[in-house]
Amino acid sequence: MRFLRLLATFVRVGVLGELAYRANFFFQLLESLIELGTALAGLAIVFSYTASLGGWRPDEVVALVGVYFLAGGCIRLLIQPSMQQLIESVRDGTLDFILTKPEDAQVLASIQRVEIWKVADVALGLAVIGVALVRMGSRIDAVRALQFAAALVAGGVIVYSFWLILATLAFWFVRVENILVIFQSMYDAGRWPVGLYPGWLRFALTFLVPVTFAVTVPAEALAGRLGWLTLLGAGGLAVGLFVASRLLWRAGLRHYSGASA
Amino acid sequence: MSARLRTGTLGSYSEGMPDAVHVRDLRKTYVVPEREAGARAAFASLLHRRTRDVHAVEGISFDLAPGEIVGFLGPNGAGKTTTLKMLAGLLHPSAGEATVLGHIPARRERAFLRQITLVMGQRNQLNWDIPAADSFELNRAIYRIPAVAYRASFDELVALLDLEPLLKKPVRNLSLGERMKCEIALALLHRPRVVFLDEPTIGLDVTMQRRIRTFIADYNRRYGATVLLTSHYMADVEALCRRVIVIHEGRLLFDGELSALVKQFTAHKTIVVHLGDCDADLSSYGELVSCVDGVATLRVAKEETARVTGRLLADLPVIDLTVEDPPIEDAIVSAFAQGASS
Amino acid sequence: MVELYRQQFRTTIAVQLQYRAALVIWLIGQVLGPLVTLSVWTAVSASGGGQAGGYTPADFAAYYIVLMIVNQLTFTWIMFELEYRVRHGSMSMALLRPVHPIHSDIADNVAFKLLTFPLILVAAAVIALGFHPAFHFSAWSTVAFLPAVFLAFLVRFLMEWTLALAAFWTTRVSAVNQIYFVVSLFLSGQIAPLSLLPRGVQAAGMILPFRWTVGFPVELLLGKLSFPQALEGMAAQVAWLGLCLLLLRLVWRAGVRTYGAVGA
Repeated sequence: MRFLRLLATFVRVGVLGELAYRANFFFQLLESLIELGTALAGLAIVFSYTASLGGWRPDEVVALVGVYFLAGGCIRLLIQPSMQQLIESVRDGTLDFILTKPEDAQVLASIQRVEIWKVADVALGLAVIGVALVRMGSRIDAVRALQFAAALVAGGVIVYSFWLILATLAFWFVRVENILVIFQSMYDAGRWPVGLYPGWLRFALTFLVPVTFAVTVPAEALAGRLGWLTLLGAGGLAVGLFVASRLLWRAGLRHYSGASA
Repeated sequence: MSARLRTGTLGSYSEGMPDAVHVRDLRKTYVVPEREAGARAAFASLLHRRTRDVHAVEGISFDLAPGEIVGFLGPNGAGKTTTLKMLAGLLHPSAGEATVLGHIPARRERAFLRQITLVMGQRNQLNWDIPAADSFELNRAIYRIPAVAYRASFDELVALLDLEPLLKKPVRNLSLGERMKCEIALALLHRPRVVFLDEPTIGLDVTMQRRIRTFIADYNRRYGATVLLTSHYMADVEALCRRVIVIHEGRLLFDGELSALVKQFTAHKTIVVHLGDCDADLSSYGELVSCVDGVATLRVAKEETARVTGRLLADLPVIDLTVEDPPIEDAIVSAFAQGASS
Repeated sequence: MVELYRQQFRTTIAVQLQYRAALVIWLIGQVLGPLVTLSVWTAVSASGGGQAGGYTPADFAAYYIVLMIVNQLTFTWIMFELEYRVRHGSMSMALLRPVHPIHSDIADNVAFKLLTFPLILVAAAVIALGFHPAFHFSAWSTVAFLPAVFLAFLVRFLMEWTLALAAFWTTRVSAVNQIYFVVSLFLSGQIAPLSLLPRGVQAAGMILPFRWTVGFPVELLLGKLSFPQALEGMAAQVAWLGLCLLLLRLVWRAGVRTYGAVGA
């Protein structure tokens, strides 16, 4: 499909540029390993005092950490850098270059920047998930695998739409970058099952900053505990947010180009 | 006066072909929130927004034939860039009509966008971290340029602009001039029929400016692309544009040949006399602009030129004498001043 | 010197008030950290028979609230700051001034804390509402807390300022940063109260200064230390303070030499 071809080109170009800076890869790997080690060490300490954390067994929380890194890696690989660049380009006028290209502006804006070394996070996340599944000893049947994949995709779409909505606000408000910092702080809370947090924080992590759908829900699928209703809800929310973000984007472009609303 | 590059097109301007650009009574008005400084005004503005209308473009009309190179002149804030943006589809006009290559720009149809290009001197579309060649690849994918056409276009641009040594270097390591060459090449890879240039030579050294001017003229000659150029450098305009459009405070002040602009807006000529020394009192001949090492520059009313020249030659030991048109800057400044007062 | 501090105070406060949105966002980040860990330990102690390692949920709540406050009073952001200065050349300007650059940094730091302390107290109150902490304040420990936290601030500031000078030698300061923060996360009691950490880690914590930058004042205020222990602790703080001052001097001198040799 056309979009995939374009994405492949952007990724290829992003990789080519960075290959010259191989040291960056090792430092990124080191940083990710330290982060992972910290998360797992914290986990080990916590589980030396209990056998079950809010209904989650140790291996299931390890799988959660794996999903945290996997999802986080995907976000920091493509979504975050492109959206940050979008916000800047609204401010300094380089958005005009995107708008004069014969391709959908939202597509171009969403894949314009690739932080290729974040792929280390994705790889680490997958490895941790793999190890956790082996230790859980449970058989991963097709249903569970499908649930997991569906939950991941839904979570990805939700996070992307969320970021797009925030970035689109830059068409009306100048200082939007600050809000992006909140995302990182709140995403951090995704390292643990969201059920542990007080009600208002759970709400914020589900409907304000979609951490639950990005991390906890797919991890529940891995643990075999994902209710079909939740999965359906995630899917519905994904579709709804995607449509809403597209509508807001179109409104933002109309505002930017001074079209009568 | 600098030498003018001959800017022809494929023969003369194509007669009978539809205009490349058609603009009728184009208008753009911005609604700008108005607020005074201070905390109290800030609160007041929450309750009742006061706005002000800024008329950036007020009823401009002109037509460009295919293959013309036209210069847009005007002081900052005159509406040149706004007009350019409306023609590129970046801004919606408030009123009036504009068509480029038969399309309405604001609709941003793919077929339209494939035939235009935008180059802004103050902003780069080249990706900072990767070599220019990779940015070219991206554009090839976006514009869906077929392999053969791309190869031809690529080779030609590299040859014309001496890009060979620059392509593999990361863009951030290039000098400003080298970057601009790559920017222009990037913009022309898809052989657009209409080229919008917004201050393309700003900040470049003289050699590079000349290089780029030559290239643009060359490109226009080869492909008959219509070029819309805004610039503050008179040298750009003089070298490239036979026709200029002067915009001031959103209105069209002048549309025609550059030489006609000078004739219309200046009322004097400049006489440069080599006298040997600066002792003589020249005030009776005209306004003395300067006298350095025996070379005096006089500003004289157009009608008086012949008479004053005669008197100078008769009265003084003249070693050499030349009569010149005033610099184009004077014409422009005068045009703006007159436009402001109207 | 006093004038310098006063001027820096005024500047910092003015700047921070400008970026009010950034302050709110910073506050959210400061609160989320302890909140997340507290939620986890509350769940652990609730399920593990009402306590974990001697801490009940109410104890954990008290611990993390006090931890958040002490962290607020002692933290710095100087490592990012210095790296930025070296990278953008403003370090050269700082070196030209007749006063040691550390003073304006201290003033900036303290001014920020003065401004934001009330906000942290509000956040603490909100967490208290949700988690019902059990405080065991005693008169003497509350009084002793003040010099303890002041010493903790000095030790932590000097230590982090010295470490930040790594910017003179490498551009990969973020790697150094990360390792430091991870170690301090564990050893200053932010992942879990120190007594809950494995024996080996606790032993390491005893010889490194981290305990004295955050963990010690927290335990003091919570009333978990006896009077002799408190005195020992403060003596350790003073010792570490002296050591850090010495280290700072040495590293600073070496750093300036390197910076000058390489060229600003």
